[in-house]
This record gives sequence, structure tokens and C-alpha cells, in this order.
Amino acid sequence: MLFSFPVNLIAGIDITAGALSANKTRLDIVAQNIANAQTTRTIGGGPYQRQVVSFETELIRRVAGGGSSLQGVKIGAIANDRTPGQQVYNPQHPDATADGLVTMPNVNLSYEMVDLITASRAYEANLAVVKSARQMAMKALEIGR
Amino acid sequence: MAPALLNRARVIDPIFQTDNYQLARKLLDAAALRHEAIATNIANAETPGFRRLEVAPDFAVQLKARVTAGDFVHTAGALHPVLAEDPTARSIRPDGNTVELERELLAMNRNAVEYDYLTEIVSNNLKQLKLAITGRTLT
Repeated sequence: MLFSFPVNLIAGIDITAGALSANKTRLDIVAQNIANAQTTRTIGGGPYQRQVVSFETELIRRVAGGGSSLQGVKIGAIANDRTPGQQVYNPQHPDATADGLVTMPNVNLSYEMVDLITASRAYEANLAVVKSARQMAMKALEIGR
Repeated sequence: MAPALLNRARVIDPIFQTDNYQLARKLLDAAALRHEAIATNIANAETPGFRRLEVAPDFAVQLKARVTAGDFVHTAGALHPVLAEDPTARSIRPDGNTVELERELLAMNRNAVEYDYLTEIVSNNLKQLKLAITGRTLT
């Protein structure tokens, strides 16, 4: 078996790393949703559908001596939001139907902005954890100095 | 071991065999583990159904019991902090997640200060030993 360190020098950095990348993905998806808020033509046909990210826990490490184990987070699924898009009357639009209606993407900018702020705050909180863990590691290295 | 070395061990050992030093060691273990628990909680702040983790309260109980019973130094080895789901945390969110970000950040800061304090105690124990050996304080 390969030798592996039972404990990281910086406590919990493996957990936080997963969370940072998961939240980064969420920000990417928000960016994609906002960018495609007006896209009425996609490869699959029809208007763009809003993407939703769901998180799930991921076992990182068991704690020696039993008890609950440490859990990271990862992207569980990126799924389509199935809410029907709004129909707008716009006969000049190239994708309008015979009666002049265009189905717009189901992207709601206010939802996306809320998601954007939540994701970046979560990202910041995780960064604060690494920062604090780093200070703790530095303190541990100063023992006996 | 040569007799001279054996005598020296008898002088040095008592520093490491005090209750305070061993307690500080155990509490440092617990603080490092608590930090990982908080990292887990903050990482899963948005995971549906996640329940916040905490160092099992049994650890503090055991620690206290062993200190009051005396001979902590020799019984401390078998004691390890473990994690448990926090039974007191209630969810106020529809997804059943019991993590509150503010609470976790406060716990994290508190834990970091505790960690600093404990490293200071361990440091001072070692400094005292060095002072005893060299007869002068370290600069």
C-alpha cells in the first residue's frame, strides 16, 4: 500500500479545496445562465434552459477512533431547470412561431444574481477557513521557538 | 541506556509528564480536529440534508474524569477526540441543513484562538526546560 499522510499539515485543506471548486463551478453556471438569458436557439433545439447545480457530500476521511467522518462537497449534478420559459409576442423575431410568439429561456436574472452572491459568499467563507488553518499551522511550527 | 543518560531522562521527563503538558497535547488534537469539522460544515453549508459536525462532547467528559481521577499522564494515551453530529442544531431551512455560516465562522475564530493559546502553553513548557538546561532565556 502506498504511504499516505494521515493528517495534513494544514488541517482540513482537502475538504475546503473541494468546496472551493464546487462553488467555482456554481459561479461558472451562473455566468452561463446570465450569458444565455436571451438565447432562443440551442444545439438541442428550442430556447436555452437554465442550468441548476446541486451539491452532494463526499467522504474525505474517517476519524481514527470512530465517530462521524469528515465530508467534503462535490457537484452532484448539473441539471436543466424544467420551468417553462416565458412566451413573448414579438413577430419580428426569427424564432417566432406563426402566431408571433417567441419562447424565451427560463432564466430569471434576479434568481441568478441571488445565486451569484450566495456562491461568492460561500467561496469567501471557505477561503477564510484556509486562511485560519494556515495561521494555526504556522503557530504549530513556532512551538518551542 | 548508560547511567548518565538515564539520569538526564529523569530530569527531562517530568516536564513532559505534567498534567498541563499532556492536557495541552490532547486539547491541541481536539482543536485541530474541530477545525476540520468546521471546514466540513462550511464546505457543506449548501448541501441539502447535511447535519453539522462537532467534536463529540464525550471527549470533554472523559478528559475531565481522567484529570480528576488523577494519573492523567498514564491514561491519556487511549483518549482520542472523535466527531459526532451536533444533536442540538435545529434547521430553519427547507432543505434540512443545520449549518449556520455565522455560527461556524465564530466557532472557527474561537477555535483558532484556543489553538494559539495551547501552542503557547506547549512552547512555554519547552522554554522552561531549555532555561533549566542552559541557565539563560532564549533570545
